[in-house]
Amino acid sequence: MKTIVGVSDMKVSNNKDEVLITYSLGSCIGVVIYDSQVKVGGMLHYMLPESQIDKEKAEKNPYMFADTGIPSLFKSAYGLGALKSRMKVVVVGGAQILDQKGFFNIGKRNHMALRKLFFKNGVIIDHEDVGGNVNRTIRIEIGTGDIYMKTSGKVEEKL
Amino acid sequence: MSAIKDLIKEIDNLKPIPAVVNQIMDAVEDSKSSMTDIAEIILYDPVITANILKMCNSAYYALPRRVDSVHDAVTMMGLNQVVDMVLMKSGASNLIKGQEGYGLHEGELWKHAVSSALIARDLAEKKGSEHKQMIFTAALLKDIGKVILDRFVGDSFTKIDDLVKKKGFSFKEAEKKVIGIDHAELGGLVAEMWDFSPKMISMIKNHHLNDEAARDDLETQILYVADNVCMMMGIGGGADGLAYRFHRDVLKRLGISPLDLQEIIASFGSEMKRVEELLKVI
Ligand SMILES: [Fe+2]
Repeated sequence: MKTIVGVSDMKVSNNKDEVLITYSLGSCIGVVIYDSQVKVGGMLHYMLPESQIDKEKAEKNPYMFADTGIPSLFKSAYGLGALKSRMKVVVVGGAQILDQKGFFNIGKRNHMALRKLFFKNGVIIDHEDVGGNVNRTIRIEIGTGDIYMKTSGKVEEKL
Repeated sequence: MSAIKDLIKEIDNLKPIPAVVNQIMDAVEDSKSSMTDIAEIILYDPVITANILKMCNSAYYALPRRVDSVHDAVTMMGLNQVVDMVLMKSGASNLIKGQEGYGLHEGELWKHAVSSALIARDLAEKKGSEHKQMIFTAALLKDIGKVILDRFVGDSFTKIDDLVKKKGFSFKEAEKKVIGIDHAELGGLVAEMWDFSPKMISMIKNHHLNDEAARDDLETQILYVADNVCMMMGIGGGADGLAYRFHRDVLKRLGISPLDLQEIIASFGSEMKRVEELLKVI
């Protein structure tokens, strides 16, 4: 069973037959987590770094922003019995347009927001494929914990 | 280059834009024509009428009651929205197919077209442009050149991709270098053959800001920002990805700060689910 994680969306699962997938991450970031002991996985697709630009939208949809979406992803996985200490963490996306520098570089700011949050909370990233000018698609098989990434124009690779 | 001649010949293979669309666009731009004039033009086309009603009654607009005539549609939604629907319907036939050379599946180029048109129209409203309909149309059709260039991009993909990945070319610059023409320039030629207005031709040709002078044009700036927002959001993103140039000065001239850019993304992001509904009925 394939479950699509949309833009500004999050899903967690402990269903061994389920595959979580999110398509075409540009400057957005996809965070995938997995605890192999309890076979619980989760995926988040956020668009922007900080919720303070629009508190109202963040309340309606916390998955739009890094600082509200990431805590939500982890908490939901804990709810299914996952533990932070056992979690595999994969981060992809955060691409940028050529010459997109400074504060306009939303892909980079998305990535920085995540790093800040992970650093504060002692989360270690196991695999990261971030930046560049490409679109990425990522999926995880909950039964095995296998994670695959596809960059458009290329073949899919296992991470 | 003979390759370019071949390319231009292929413009004839596109499904022509129905004459009624040009009539409507002319009428919208002409300050002398009234709302009834425009509604009249639409009314005489039963296919377009049927399509408008279908779109009006879709979940995207979530109207309080059923719309069952063009007159009704215009009263409830306003003429601009109704004209947008006509334009969307007429753009779909050429843009909905997959474009393998660009790594786009069926519907992706179309989703990008509609999304950037909606973002551009919103921005046009905010920036007080006089040419909202023209911006909408240009945003919708700006990548029409990709439909023709697709096969050629597919054939020389490795060369193009190498220039982008190793030599710092933008995808558009690499198209030009390898094929001799880029998708924006080619789009401009299509617009010319379809008898679009000079302004519209220029907007399509300059949606990646080919000509320095176009950067001063408000409508082109809006079109450009909308395209960039879609790229960042990964909407209809293909093998060309985000490999286009970002011109910060153009955003500045338009008065868009980094925060404004994020706000545009946030607000369109909240619309995405509704837009999917709209795409189902066009
Ligand atoms: Fe383009």
